[in-house]
Amino acid sequence: MLAISLKSLLAHKVRFLLTAVAIVLGVSLVAGTFIFTDTIDAQFDDLFEDIYSGIDVSVRADVGDFRAETEPFPGDVLDIVLAVEGVEIAEGGVTSLATGVLDKEGDPIGGRGPPTLGFSWAEVPSLTPMRIKEGAGRAPTGSQDIVLDANTVANAGFALGDTVTVVGLSGPEQFELVGIASFGDQDSLLGATIVLFDLEKARELFGYGDEYTGISVQAEAGVTAEELTERISLVLPAGVEAVTGETERNEQVAEINEALSFLSIGLLSFAGVSVFVGAFIIQNTFRIVVAQRIRELALLRAIGATGRQIRSMVIIEALVVGIVGSVLGVGFGFAMAFAIRGMMNAAGMGIPLGALVLLPRAVIAAMLVGMILTLLSSLLPARQASRISPVAAMREEAARTPRRSLHTRALAGSVITGLGVLLIGLGLFVDIGRSIAYVGAGAAIAFMGISVLAPLAASPLADFIGWPLPRLFGISGQLARENTKRQPRRTASTASALMVGVALVVFFAVFGSSTKASINETIFELFPADLTFSSTSQTDPELRAPISPAFAERLGVYDELSVVSAMQFGRVVIEGETQIIGAFDPETIEQVIVLDAIGDAVAAVAARDSVIVSASFLEESGWAVGDTVTAEFAHTGEVALTIVGTYEHGDFGKLFLSSDTYLANFRYMGDSFVFVNAADGVSVLAAQDAISPTVETFGNIKAQTKSEIVEDAEGQIDQALALFTGLLLFAVMIAVLGITNTLTLSIYERTREIGLLRAVGMVRRQVRRMIRWEAVIIATFGAMLGVGIGIILGWAVVRALADEGFGAFRVPVGQVILALVLAAFSGVLAAVWPARKASRMNILDAISNE
Amino acid sequence: MGAGGMLSETEGGSVTGDVAVRYAARLENGVKTYGEGDTAIHALNGATAEFERGRFTAIMGPSGSGKSTLLHCIAGLDTLTSGIAYIGEIDLSTLKDRDLTLLRRERIGFIFQSYNLIPSLSAEENILLPLSIGGKQPDEDWYGTILDTVGLRPRLTHRPSELSGGEQQRVAAARALVSQPEIIFADEPSGNLDSKASAELLGFMRHAVDEFGQTIVMVTHDPGTAAYADRIIFLEDGRIVDEMYDPTADSVLDRLKSLGG
Ligand SMILES: Nc1ncnc2c1ncn2[C@@H]1O[C@H](COP(=O)(O)OP(=O)(O)OP(=O)(O)O)[C@@H](O)[C@H]1O
Ligand SMILES: [Mg+2]
Repeated sequence: MLAISLKSLLAHKVRFLLTAVAIVLGVSLVAGTFIFTDTIDAQFDDLFEDIYSGIDVSVRADVGDFRAETEPFPGDVLDIVLAVEGVEIAEGGVTSLATGVLDKEGDPIGGRGPPTLGFSWAEVPSLTPMRIKEGAGRAPTGSQDIVLDANTVANAGFALGDTVTVVGLSGPEQFELVGIASFGDQDSLLGATIVLFDLEKARELFGYGDEYTGISVQAEAGVTAEELTERISLVLPAGVEAVTGETERNEQVAEINEALSFLSIGLLSFAGVSVFVGAFIIQNTFRIVVAQRIRELALLRAIGATGRQIRSMVIIEALVVGIVGSVLGVGFGFAMAFAIRGMMNAAGMGIPLGALVLLPRAVIAAMLVGMILTLLSSLLPARQASRISPVAAMREEAARTPRRSLHTRALAGSVITGLGVLLIGLGLFVDIGRSIAYVGAGAAIAFMGISVLAPLAASPLADFIGWPLPRLFGISGQLARENTKRQPRRTASTASALMVGVALVVFFAVFGSSTKASINETIFELFPADLTFSSTSQTDPELRAPISPAFAERLGVYDELSVVSAMQFGRVVIEGETQIIGAFDPETIEQVIVLDAIGDAVAAVAARDSVIVSASFLEESGWAVGDTVTAEFAHTGEVALTIVGTYEHGDFGKLFLSSDTYLANFRYMGDSFVFVNAADGVSVLAAQDAISPTVETFGNIKAQTKSEIVEDAEGQIDQALALFTGLLLFAVMIAVLGITNTLTLSIYERTREIGLLRAVGMVRRQVRRMIRWEAVIIATFGAMLGVGIGIILGWAVVRALADEGFGAFRVPVGQVILALVLAAFSGVLAAVWPARKASRMNILDAISNE
Repeated sequence: MGAGGMLSETEGGSVTGDVAVRYAARLENGVKTYGEGDTAIHALNGATAEFERGRFTAIMGPSGSGKSTLLHCIAGLDTLTSGIAYIGEIDLSTLKDRDLTLLRRERIGFIFQSYNLIPSLSAEENILLPLSIGGKQPDEDWYGTILDTVGLRPRLTHRPSELSGGEQQRVAAARALVSQPEIIFADEPSGNLDSKASAELLGFMRHAVDEFGQTIVMVTHDPGTAAYADRIIFLEDGRIVDEMYDPTADSVLDRLKSLGG
């Protein structure tokens, strides 16, 4: 059987190729995702290996569940450590995320991309990967000195001796670039902007006293890292801990892996869509191929092959195609990884470039997906093949396999679709957890159900879509339309694949524009502030880059402003969960934002150690006003906070302290937002003009009016939409390829018919036109279904999120029409090859009697 | 006749008008070779034949003698290795694919042994196919005459799958006639039909020659079928070896026996 299978594959190279291509595309996004994430992973691994290679023990503040890099501890700990037996050498340093570097134009470097990291220069080379590049200056020694990483220097066009402005806690300050640094032999730390100062200046700039945020220790020969860690731990004061360098590295790697796993889950979901769409195509292809081979298979049956043998033959063929397709898919995955990286970077994610890494798991995952995909896709067609009766070989009109009755189809399709809708409904409207999984699975099942129903709609819809064709293109147009109606099942299957892609694109478009509309409403309703300031440097995305505390202070002197109100954020652990907590000045906050506080909650939070909680989070956590919760701060440890009130509008945050309470419990690194109102009789524009000198000196602070905030938010949504749409394009491409597939196979079936048309006088252009419009009808059919489903799904999700502030449901009509038109046009592309092939078909093949 | 455009568009006509007036199609020293060297097959090996206008000619010969090849080469479906094929005054080898296609559409009709119709079109649409491909309307009188002759009026809206084999071939014959071509080529048109349907079809073809002056060239194996023709040419090993006029089934049979012996 294997031999026959292989021969049959080789004899039908085009079929083989077409099936394989569908698999390649389906698999390649899976492979690409793994290659992409593995590459980033490996880059980080290498980097941390470098950074920690000489460090045996790390001493740092003991802050429990918090990230420790920037929490300081007393400077005399270094003496304690140095005194421990077995310590070869130890050096303390400070790190900060709260710095921004301005480029030559005074704009912040980095933007929304990789963060800016500030370090003190380490004197001991074995304890740091940082080096001054050969001939590129020297280490920072004085309070005017700054060293930047080579990548940043190159990108910003700095040269040694240039003046560089850094915005620290106390505002902008100027330095002289005295050195250019690298990491081992790497010019860039994954694209981050690195600023290095001498220890004293770094402490001043980052707001530390006689403190360190870390001490790196190298053990004497013969002393293990574990031993030394234990010894050091014994003598450390409370609040400071020692871990092995390896532990610290593993923690960092784990943290990054966690962040990456989000990314890879996201990407894999899109890969899943591609695989799902690919399954439609592959199954369709196998089914057509089996239908076309009925005579051949029946002949095998007639000469004695059992149904089982036929079935295994079809499956073996599928597996061979699956293997070949999967292997090629892995190769193609490299291209995908490149494409993903390009798209991420286009969306401003700043992912470092570098050679791609192929790990076994990428290959295994891709192979598994490819094999399972093909195997499952071939099962039904294989079963069908095994049921072909030997007599079929004799009959002229053999190509007709028994069709399920319309009723059965309508019933089965409705039941499956209903099940999918039920799951979506459960996920959206019933609180059962894992709602995204329910919605995803529900959508997949609903798509399948609709694809079962679709053949019922194929004929009428093809008539509808194709009605102008006969008039416009005469017989070519008429035949194009008739051909799509001839095999409704095939047309529907092909269109369904496109339907899935289009539905998701439209869904995101609807969801995005509804979100925008909601944001628009919310911001204008709940944001009385005339201007909002935020930092443009990226440090900690959850907390936002702090604005130098000096900024709000300096704004305070302007008469053009009536209110200056700052908001801070930080992390706190409550009941074992890390939460983001905000803080504001209770006296002024209500003039700049609307919290919809219940009663005098805002005034009440002015009392020390009190907190207000948003109504929804209060309910979620099962707390009540008057309760006391224990909050753990990195800086001050456990503090009992009394819940003194609640507020309706949780968009700004779910937990708020007064700024006083905040300052008592956090190391104040600056403000996340500064809101201002123009004084009476002063226009926002005039106020903006008045304060612009101050804003400009800080460089990395931007002022936004309400409409600019809306625009900004919309811009971010658009960026996300572009990314999603880009990722979905792979699925759409597969679907378009599916049209090519179906058409090509159909053309083989219609060799004689096309030959006849050519014989009685159809010119090649007319043949091409016929195939092209057939493709356009199929594509439009799929796109119309997709648009419908996408809008309905969007509506359901928006409705389900009504509680979370989604007031608006908007269908972006222009975008939807564009999607429809582009999808229809994709039919033209899909048809290029088959149309060419059909128009060049040998007429004699067609009319010779087999 | 709809072929007027062709004359100006193409550069055929290396032959004097007289010959072109007399013969609807001609083959001069036609050679068609498949393959190369030792394994080369000469499907046509210097065949020369003329087909007079208004005549019904049958081509006979043993299987593999090159009948279909000859038909394809004169009808512009295939190209000769050497020699010249003319339709009217036009040398087919001078035409590009597009012009050749237009020539087939406007000046040639076809009836094949099987798979003659487009399954997704009704009988009527199939009949009108050569016209609709050219974006033309049928001449009502002529169309009516054809329909009456083939007797298909009640079945016009049916799809081919709903027609008998005989009916299908009559639709094909009507299609071949509808554009009033200079010549109709038929390759074993009754090969798949029973004797009654076969007689109907051939009677109809004969009628077209007698009443409308249609020129028909038909390949057949069957002496009874060949007897409908005015003239028979016999092919063997790619050459014309004999011909006979006004055949009857018996005389054809005799001739075949003598050729075979
Ligand atoms: N495409 C081709 N490639 C190679 N040889 C061919 C091809 N087409 C035809 N031949 C050969 O050319 C010769 C003539 O073929 P043709 O089809 O013209 O014969 P025929 O007289 O129509 O036979 P039949 O009565 O069986 O239809 C045969 O030997 C055939 O094998
Ligand atoms: Mg033949």
